[in-house]
Amino acid sequence: MRKKPTRKRSDRYRLFRIVILAGLLMTLALIFLVSTLGSQNFGSLHKLVLEAVGPLQKVVTMSSAYVETFKSEYIDILQDSLRLREENKRLIQQLQENENILNKSREAMATNASLRKLLEFKNTLDQQQVVAAMIVGKDPSTTFRSVIIDRGSNSSVMKGNPVVNNDGVVGQVFAVTPNYAKVLLAIAPSSAIDVLLQKSRVRGILKGDGTLTYRLEYILKTAEVEEGDHVVTAGYGGIFPTGLQVGVVSKIIKKPRGMFHEIEVTPSVDYQKLENLLILQQPKLGEIKQMEQQR
Amino acid sequence: MVVFHFIVVGLLLVILQTTICMPTPVWLPAPDFYYVLVAYLAFRLDLLRSLIILFPLVCVLDVLSGTVLGTYALLCFSGYFLLRQFSAKLPVNEILYQIPLIALSYLAVSWAVYLFLELLQPGQQVAWSWWKMLVRMMLVALCSYPLFFLFDLVQKYSQRSFLPWNRLRLRSDNRRRRQA
Repeated sequence: MRKKPTRKRSDRYRLFRIVILAGLLMTLALIFLVSTLGSQNFGSLHKLVLEAVGPLQKVVTMSSAYVETFKSEYIDILQDSLRLREENKRLIQQLQENENILNKSREAMATNASLRKLLEFKNTLDQQQVVAAMIVGKDPSTTFRSVIIDRGSNSSVMKGNPVVNNDGVVGQVFAVTPNYAKVLLAIAPSSAIDVLLQKSRVRGILKGDGTLTYRLEYILKTAEVEEGDHVVTAGYGGIFPTGLQVGVVSKIIKKPRGMFHEIEVTPSVDYQKLENLLILQQPKLGEIKQMEQQR
Repeated sequence: MVVFHFIVVGLLLVILQTTICMPTPVWLPAPDFYYVLVAYLAFRLDLLRSLIILFPLVCVLDVLSGTVLGTYALLCFSGYFLLRQFSAKLPVNEILYQIPLIALSYLAVSWAVYLFLELLQPGQQVAWSWWKMLVRMMLVALCSYPLFFLFDLVQKYSQRSFLPWNRLRLRSDNRRRRQA
């Protein structure tokens, strides 16, 4: 019973407060409107509002800038790295293809240079019929030195034909089939070629020993021989033409006993790089063979 | 089929040795695959089929090599019969135990053939070099295991019949019936 007047009083007080607050707000709004529309000045209130909103804007803007920076620095980089990886793969593949092409063109250039040298050498052999051939196989044994070439009797290659390249004498045709031939290399121990020392015109026999050097035999001790002397084919017997480069004297072993020098000759031909060869066709070879058979 | 397949494999190995494995005519570390085949035939195949396989192989080797025909025939047949004699007396038939024998027989036979040719035609061959032949022997030993594996595969493949004759063979209907 006692509580009723208190509730009524508080209700009245609340109503009073609301009215006062609404009046205050309306007054402020009226003042704001009048002052804004009337004077068009950026008044204290505006400044106050701006001061209050500015930091918020600043925070939001900075946050957004930070997010943007983060995105550009990390997420975009991630995307870029994925894209770059793809690009990298593509470029590596392209590079490999280009390297292959480059290697092929290099190989073609080297072959071209080698064949050009061979052609130049061929042109120096006046009126000599030659057949170009390629080495297709090598001797599997350690005791013989021969190679198989891709030209045979169908290309007029005969047994005994000299085989050369642009550096000099390589060997001699040993066996012939219609399309292939076996060439006994000059470094083989069973090979023997008539040669001359170019300077002193002393004649000797050049033999192989299976290594990358020749032995020059039957040079009398009275003959003048020096290291560096050029050795060329003698042309006796009509098989090898005269003056073909064979090698250079590299070592002279003078022994107290015996009639002859022991001479080592370094081949002018690089046997490690043999690829293309020329077979010299000797027109007289057939006649020589016929004469041999008649004997 | 075994004979035909081994002839083809042997020829391929010889061609491989004389082309890709020998970049230059004086190339030393070219493995003698043919000798491993000779050893395989001596250890794993019967005499008749082995000889049929060896004839074309030695013929090709002699054609491709050197000046003295018959060198490889001598080398391969000597090696074959030597290894065959040894294989009959060996207690184990595992390749890993046979590799040293193959390598040593290669060296011994090569040396014997060299001496024989030197006796017949002195000065016609490259001088014997122990270290070079030891290198070749090591290569033969190294190639033996993988090549034996390959040859086993070839033999297994060759023995597989194209037509299932064994299934077509007629069998008596009472072969599992208990005898009364």
